[in-house]
Amino acid sequence: MRFTRFARRIILLAALPLLLFGIPAATAATASAATSTGWIRLAHLSPNTPAVDVYLYSFGDSSAQIVLHHVAYGTVSPYEQVATGDYTVAMRAAGASATSSPVLSASVDVVAGHAYTVAGLGPESGLRLQVLDDQLTTPSGKAMVRIIQASLKQNVVSVTWGGDTLQGGLKFGAVSSYQTVSPGAETLTVSGGGDTATESVPLAAGTVHTLVVLDGPSGLQIDDLLDAAGSGTDPAGGAATGFGGMAPHAPSSPLPWVVAIGAGLLLAAAGGVRFRSRRAAAPVAGGRHQRVPAARS
Amino acid sequence: MSRGRHSRRRPLWAGGRTAALLLTAGLVAAGAGLTGLVITRHPEIPRAAALQALPAPTGPIAAVPAQGTAAVAEPASLVIPSIGVSTSLVHLGLTSTGALQVPPTTAVAGWYTGSPRPGATGSAVIAGHIDSVAGPGVFYRLSQLQPGDRVYVRRADNTLAVFAVTRVESYPKDAFPTAAVYGAVPDPELRLITCGGTFDYTTRSYLSNTVVYAREVS
Repeated sequence: MRFTRFARRIILLAALPLLLFGIPAATAATASAATSTGWIRLAHLSPNTPAVDVYLYSFGDSSAQIVLHHVAYGTVSPYEQVATGDYTVAMRAAGASATSSPVLSASVDVVAGHAYTVAGLGPESGLRLQVLDDQLTTPSGKAMVRIIQASLKQNVVSVTWGGDTLQGGLKFGAVSSYQTVSPGAETLTVSGGGDTATESVPLAAGTVHTLVVLDGPSGLQIDDLLDAAGSGTDPAGGAATGFGGMAPHAPSSPLPWVVAIGAGLLLAAAGGVRFRSRRAAAPVAGGRHQRVPAARS
Repeated sequence: MSRGRHSRRRPLWAGGRTAALLLTAGLVAAGAGLTGLVITRHPEIPRAAALQALPAPTGPIAAVPAQGTAAVAEPASLVIPSIGVSTSLVHLGLTSTGALQVPPTTAVAGWYTGSPRPGATGSAVIAGHIDSVAGPGVFYRLSQLQPGDRVYVRRADNTLAVFAVTRVESYPKDAFPTAAVYGAVPDPELRLITCGGTFDYTTRSYLSNTVVYAREVS
């Protein structure tokens, strides 16, 4: 039937705006991957212990994820990013077989977004693997610092930074807690017994440091480790990075246009139906035409 | 002249004039509506596929500093091949209200000088506009980045720091996770910031920020 074909065309035409609108709606997916990793670094801070091989195993996995060979006293590895979960750190004498039983081992539970230092501390006779929870956050505009006392020659040391005493009477093998300091570039002084070491140490806002006191070739030595760094001052809130020129014009509704299309199509349909019925009726019922005024030529 | 006789000879026009008028008027109205609809439709963000990806920059790639004590030069320019970004970097500070300063033009990105230098230990912050009042800005396609995409920062000493995207997030500005974006991290990372989400026409600002997290690769 003619009318059916005509109606089909109208429906198709009416569906066009829907097609135009439907496609962009499917592009709003946002990538969201939660942080499920943490960090581990490994350190050898036992002065009279020879070099070691350090192994990091994911719990229950017999093949090591990371192996550090010949790690000597005073060495601190960079942070390794690892998946969250349980890990085992094992120390073997340098060059020992990977299947030999380790001299020492410790387990670490890595929590998402946390960082850990696994350090061999103390004298060789009392060597222990200690898991240190590393700080990653600072109060805004401040620096954080902690001290690891790894000098055997000077059993007890005191540490000052500028005029501030960071730590007094820290014993060999001990790790201080982090403390907050005002940022600056001051002279760090480590003294123990008759021995003193000084070094200019800048502690910038938004940074976290671990200062390791070591036995150097001659006297005390200072190793400044940057545990983490962020912005000195956190900007407030978000960033005003747009002027809207490419923004979706959400407030301007497509409704008036759709209504116009719909009304137009209805009008055209009415006209079309009438047109066709007239045309079909014309040859048989010509008389009816008399009631309609004819167009003048 | 008899109308009746006349109309009998021309049955089509005589009977169909109103119908033809209706049909024409209807189609014109529908056409106008369709045109209006298409014109007022917001421009759709072109997909990355339609974009000419840039070649990866070449140059000496600086080693990832082991302990962050090594001096790292200031960042000079930024290249993100997969989304066609190649821009110099201006310096950004803070506004009088403590918010992040934004680049003076929408064509360049900027490095927040209060954050670590890209490639040094910590979270370096680079911000750029998504658009101007008239068209796309330097970070228009930032939200199209995928994990693994490479981001290159060329530094003042001509060395390159190479980063890989780890995640792309969108945050409402009134719930911006300051600690996650600007807070300290123990390895060399990058944060790329631009606007996104709904544009509020009354305040003339976007309601969300897009933040891309990236980590240095060796």
